[in-house]
Amino acid sequence: MKRFGNFMDSFGAILLAVIWISPLLFAFWAATHSTSDAVNLRLFSPWTMDNFIVAWNGAPWLKYFINTFSLVTVILIGQFILVTLAGFAFAQLQFPGKDFVFILVLMQLFILPEVLIVENYAMVSRLGLFDTILGVGMPYMASAFGIFLMRQAFKGVPIELHEAARIEGCGLLGILWRVYVPLAKPTYLAYALVSVSTHWNNFLWPLIVTNSPETRPLTVGLSIFGAPENGVDISVISAATLMSVAPLLIAFLIFQRQFVQAFLRAGIK
Amino acid sequence: MTTGPFVAIKDVAKRWNGQLGVEGITLDIPEGSFTALLGPSGCGKSTTLRLLAGLELPDEGKIFIDGKDVTTSAASDRNLSMVFQSYALFPHLSVAENVVFGLKVRRVPKLERQKKLHRALEITGLLGYEDRKPGELSGGQRQRVALARAIVAGQRLCLMDEPLSNLDAKLRNSVRKDIKKLQRDLGITVVYVTHDQTEAMSMADTVVLMKDGHIQQVGPPEELYNKPNNTFVAEFVGAPAMALISSDGLSGFEAGQRLGIRAENIQIVPKGEGRLTCTITESEFLGSETLIGLDHAHATGLCVLKSGMALMPEGDTIDITFTDEHLHVFDASGQRIATQT
Repeated sequence: MKRFGNFMDSFGAILLAVIWISPLLFAFWAATHSTSDAVNLRLFSPWTMDNFIVAWNGAPWLKYFINTFSLVTVILIGQFILVTLAGFAFAQLQFPGKDFVFILVLMQLFILPEVLIVENYAMVSRLGLFDTILGVGMPYMASAFGIFLMRQAFKGVPIELHEAARIEGCGLLGILWRVYVPLAKPTYLAYALVSVSTHWNNFLWPLIVTNSPETRPLTVGLSIFGAPENGVDISVISAATLMSVAPLLIAFLIFQRQFVQAFLRAGIK
Repeated sequence: MTTGPFVAIKDVAKRWNGQLGVEGITLDIPEGSFTALLGPSGCGKSTTLRLLAGLELPDEGKIFIDGKDVTTSAASDRNLSMVFQSYALFPHLSVAENVVFGLKVRRVPKLERQKKLHRALEITGLLGYEDRKPGELSGGQRQRVALARAIVAGQRLCLMDEPLSNLDAKLRNSVRKDIKKLQRDLGITVVYVTHDQTEAMSMADTVVLMKDGHIQQVGPPEELYNKPNNTFVAEFVGAPAMALISSDGLSGFEAGQRLGIRAENIQIVPKGEGRLTCTITESEFLGSETLIGLDHAHATGLCVLKSGMALMPEGDTIDITFTDEHLHVFDASGQRIATQT
């Protein structure tokens, strides 16, 4: 009975993995073969790179890549600054109404970002940031999840270290920068991971708030490239998709071990 | 050089939500001295040290360091260093970075930093360990890193919060000597918190014994040992502690008085010649002598020392005697009665 249970565990895991990866595998298959070969699943048909060339020439991909890259960078920097300061305040400082404000921040976790799209749109327009990278990134910078994560990480820092730094002459921001931030490194890494992959893949909000190829990130560019009015060529679209996800995918494959460790360490603390 | 005490604490009180922290602490500490704050846990000795360090602010009273009123100054403005019980080394920094942390914060030029670092590591015997992380060091080495960090800036006042309590007994003895030597060589003023009376007695010039947030007695170790102010001091200081006999058990004293006597002043005498007859409860061989615990209806903590290996069977009764000049007399409230005959 126990052996059967083990078998079912492994079987289930493998089944899930196959289901999970099959779209990616199919995209890879389609991108490297001509359309008719791909659709008819001719296993021994010749491989080709033409689809990538066609896709690359079909849209300003380089611009999209740069846009997505700057978008996730801007968001991450903004998040690090806000999340560090807010997390530190909630973890180590005393101020009136602290608990109430913290609950307000946590309530953000219950609200789907999609619900706020109209409100965010109005705000970004008022700020004159419509159709800019900063405008796309701004609504996500004050992340409740990040604030909570950092608060927990900072709370785990022994108070003696804080006091020792105080005696050695550090001001509050000095202590934050020299003691808390370095000690929370694993948490920052784990958080950066979640943030980058989320915003690399984010689609709906950038679609609404960007208007030109100058600011459009990859996801929006890809969907416009694959829109029916441009004619559906499954192989070319697959090639474009692979190109879009490749940087993230390669980074994950290379840093797999570090990522898992970062999460584990952040969890243990 | 300023006149008057280097550190002065005047009528300082600190309370937490009505609970007592410390109350009415008045203390003068001369420059270059070694002062131990001694007491059982929860007596307020650490609170006193934290008030002095500026990690807590007093509700009442004033604190002066080097003639300056620092009562409300930030910890960083008090020009002192501190050694924590847990050492509080920064785990992400190497030994060298830990030691120069404060110098870096205070923007001391690099060359001077190097020089001071070298000297501090030399004094603490840590040369060659510069690049290790605290996690790769033994407890004793970590302790020395904490000491190096405390002396590197050349602050004249150094506070230590039970720095030896995380070391094993053997190491503790040697580090105790090292700290004492360091303090003498550098001429710094040390305020040292401990619950271990042996540590306090062996290291300090002045011992401050505290209980329940109040100072019980301030004085050199021999004074606390020979002239305890009250029964609490008598029972806390010394190993073995002073035995207390109620006046009911002895003739010639007023009712309600209590009499203290040290083990070394008690002699065992043949049956019938002693002033008290006691039952032996335990024999403890200490090496050069044997400590024999005694039980008597009117006494607590009674014991006697016999030289060499001299175990005595438990349950036997023996007679003991002592002279009145060795007796410490305390009144009903436990205070010492000064005039003795």
